Amino acid sequence: MINWLRNPWGKPRWLKLITIVYILWSIVPVAIAILFAFNAGRSRTTWQGFSFRWFTGASGSVLHDPQYQGALKHTLILAVICVAVATPLGVALALGLQRWRGPGGGTVNTVMLLPLVTPEIVMGVALLLLFLRVFPEIGLGTPAQAIGQVTFTLSYVVVIVRGRLTSIGPEYEEAAADLGAPPHDQLFRVVLPLLIPAIIASAAVAFALSIDDFVVTQYLSGNASTTTVSMLLYASARGAPTPALNAIATVALLITLATLTLAFLVYRRFASGREAAAVAALDI
Amino acid sequence: MQGEIRLEELTKSFGEVVAVDGVDLRMPPGEFFTMLGPSGCGKTTTLRMIAGFERPTSGRIMLDGSDVAQVPPHRRSVNTVFQSYALFPHLDVAGNVAFGLKYQKLTKEEKRRKVKGILDLVRLSGFEQRKPEQLSGGQQQRVALARALVLTPRVLLLDEPLGALDARLRKDLQVELKAIQADIGVTFVFVTHDQEEALTMSDRIALMNHGRVEQAGSPREIYEGPETEFVADFLGVSNLLHAEASADGGVCSLRIGERTFRAEQGDTGARGEVKAMIRPERIGLEPHDTPGDNRMPGLVERAVFLGGAHEVHVRVVGGELLKATVSNDGKPLTFALEEGSAVGLHLPPDGLRVLAPSQPPPSAEDAAERPVRTAPSM
Repeated sequence: MINWLRNPWGKPRWLKLITIVYILWSIVPVAIAILFAFNAGRSRTTWQGFSFRWFTGASGSVLHDPQYQGALKHTLILAVICVAVATPLGVALALGLQRWRGPGGGTVNTVMLLPLVTPEIVMGVALLLLFLRVFPEIGLGTPAQAIGQVTFTLSYVVVIVRGRLTSIGPEYEEAAADLGAPPHDQLFRVVLPLLIPAIIASAAVAFALSIDDFVVTQYLSGNASTTTVSMLLYASARGAPTPALNAIATVALLITLATLTLAFLVYRRFASGREAAAVAALDI
Repeated sequence: MQGEIRLEELTKSFGEVVAVDGVDLRMPPGEFFTMLGPSGCGKTTTLRMIAGFERPTSGRIMLDGSDVAQVPPHRRSVNTVFQSYALFPHLDVAGNVAFGLKYQKLTKEEKRRKVKGILDLVRLSGFEQRKPEQLSGGQQQRVALARALVLTPRVLLLDEPLGALDARLRKDLQVELKAIQADIGVTFVFVTHDQEEALTMSDRIALMNHGRVEQAGSPREIYEGPETEFVADFLGVSNLLHAEASADGGVCSLRIGERTFRAEQGDTGARGEVKAMIRPERIGLEPHDTPGDNRMPGLVERAVFLGGAHEVHVRVVGGELLKATVSNDGKPLTFALEEGSAVGLHLPPDGLRVLAPSQPPPSAEDAAERPVRTAPSM
């Protein structure tokens, strides 16, 4: 073993070993959780045979339990709202920031990135107070949850779109202006078409972030009807859950993975590999 | 005839840095005008101001008599061929070429005919449906040219358009570009750092340095009559010599090393410490100790046979190294070209130029002292 690790000719093998151990460590628990979504029995620890009963069964399954159905539906509604608002807003902000030269530009740039590093719980608490005290007419519930999710996904959209804007450079806009296009046409005939890959990618990331989010969504939820999948998972994990919980987690995971894979493929189709890798790295 | 540009006191500063420093230039209509200079000399910034991408700090840009300095780029009837072409990657060749026609009042049929006509001119018929990424560098360059020319601009601006091409293609396109310009008669304002390119293509050259115009004129005027050391050094090969100028019966007498020379070219009124220059092809190489005026001895340090000529490096008595070219006209040489042989150098008075000192680079204090007119707001 020690001799194998030494390997004086290639890359150090202990680095390889650490990598393998880490990958196993991070994937195996998820794989086991997914596996038990297909358990034929009620146990989440003892394998009792393969079945789809927790996905599509007549009772207590993801498909037929109203609680699970509601959570899944609410999760998707929030995700759609979040994407629909955060994407255009983020694109507009990115375009504005890109052109903001002069005093204040640097500060604004930094502030835009703050949500990426702010602990989510801090943002959750702050937004909770905001909706209870400052905007009580909004209150808690779906609108508050949507606003909260937009608030922190916006930064991701801005970062992705700005990355693309930087790599595009100012030249295409100048060319459009040179050929007679007024500012409106420079944007709609040239810049936005060139931004399409970044817009699709950032929309997908916003979608995935919305589905995965727990802290902000939990804090700003109103009643049982505003429960999302992640909240449901959290609430029932400590009760007496059935493998249906694993099943709904599996569904959420698949939606997220599918969205991000799609975004990655679309982005790679249009943009250079390095940008695509940067977006992939954001898929936390 | 349309397409005249006059730059008056044109200045652009980026913070502390003065990129263009009071440039006055006239670019006559229908001419191939080149702004030549080393990188950072302000030529591209000047071009970008004419295009409208940069707003001048002060000064005027007169296009056919009206000041366009504060007109946004999309309302100027000048078009640009960018260094990297900036072809829209999401549009095909026809889409790129037709892009600007949307802003001209033309029928669909007229637009179609114009696109076809211009693609014929740049020999790209049949490439309408190609995307820019499917074209070679030379083809992309021609699309960029077509996209700008189809709008029949009064002036076409070209920012080192051949810079990204390999040497052979560059030569071909130089000829082609010049032919197109002569054919359609649009004023071309061409920016390059390649002196050979400038000499072969231009009707007129402005040589720039440190944000100012050092000298402007026809290629021949500038090559034959450089006024400053920078111009002499940048354009072609020059021998530069330290000299002490004095008046000697109405003519300029230069003391170079131990000898005096008569100079008839350049700033012959200068006195005191000056630089003198002579082109290698103007130096006469002779046997050692040939009698006569304007002659000095030297030792051959290196001789390179170039086929059509010999390039001979001669160390003269003062210690300076002069380059001389001896054309290979078939006659036997009257002197030895081996390393270390003694030869005579004839610097004829009509080839010896007295140069004005080059302007120093503008410093921040200089810029502050000069009254800077603020640009009127739009």
